[in-house]
Amino acid sequence: MELSLNHRKEGDKTVLEVGGEVDVYTAPKLREKLVELVGDGHYQLVVDMTKVEFLDSTGLGVLVGGLKRVRSHDGTLSLVCNQERILKIFRITGLTKVFPIHDSLDEALQDA
Amino acid sequence: MSDVELHLPPDVRYVGLARLVVCAAARQSGMSDERIEDLRIAVSEATTNAVIAHQRVQRTLPVVLLFGASTAGFSVTVRDSGAGFEPTGAQDGASRDWTGEHGLGVTLIRGLADEVEFLRAAGMRVHMRFAVGLEAEGAAERTSGQAEVS
Repeated sequence: MELSLNHRKEGDKTVLEVGGEVDVYTAPKLREKLVELVGDGHYQLVVDMTKVEFLDSTGLGVLVGGLKRVRSHDGTLSLVCNQERILKIFRITGLTKVFPIHDSLDEALQDA
Repeated sequence: MSDVELHLPPDVRYVGLARLVVCAAARQSGMSDERIEDLRIAVSEATTNAVIAHQRVQRTLPVVLLFGASTAGFSVTVRDSGAGFEPTGAQDGASRDWTGEHGLGVTLIRGLADEVEFLRAAGMRVHMRFAVGLEAEGAAERTSGQAEVS
């Protein structure tokens, strides 16, 4: 399955909806999108991963890169993820302590 | 012994195919859906590393996956002929430097497989074993055959 990327503004935040598979083949597209968003001044990012079918370490690395970019502008990058199989890889790599991870988009948008 | 041998061109577009084929074999062997998700990630990590290793030294030879089920579980070996690397040790995810954008793959393989062995000899050989369910049943169906993509 290919990667799908769609973004929209929700108040002061920008939601990037990611769908499909994020691996070494598709991750460059996600990286480009995050670079583009930060370049356009979107520093409060919510990456909605509800429709992600697969994510491996290449995708994790891209998200870490995105987080570093927004933080250099005093921004934030939070995640929406309710799939155990994906949460598991954040736990194994210790990244649950780095990214705010929310069960739902509403929860992520309400988070200050 | 692994029973199926898959030769993949060292191109990142084939990593998804490796996941599909190995996980289909594991499913056929009776592995649970939950364990297949672990296998899917570990295979992706090892295959990605192998493909990148070939690309770094402009090697056009295929990377090779050997996999199959036995009473010991489901085993996958990913073999490349790149420059090889010294794998990081068993690392506590919580203690690693989060700012690193690379090197998470070995951490994931170690965290997901029941057994893993990294051998550096004329490239890398990463051997992973997933035990859940198969050995308990005692008589996993064996698959055999060869597949090559070029």
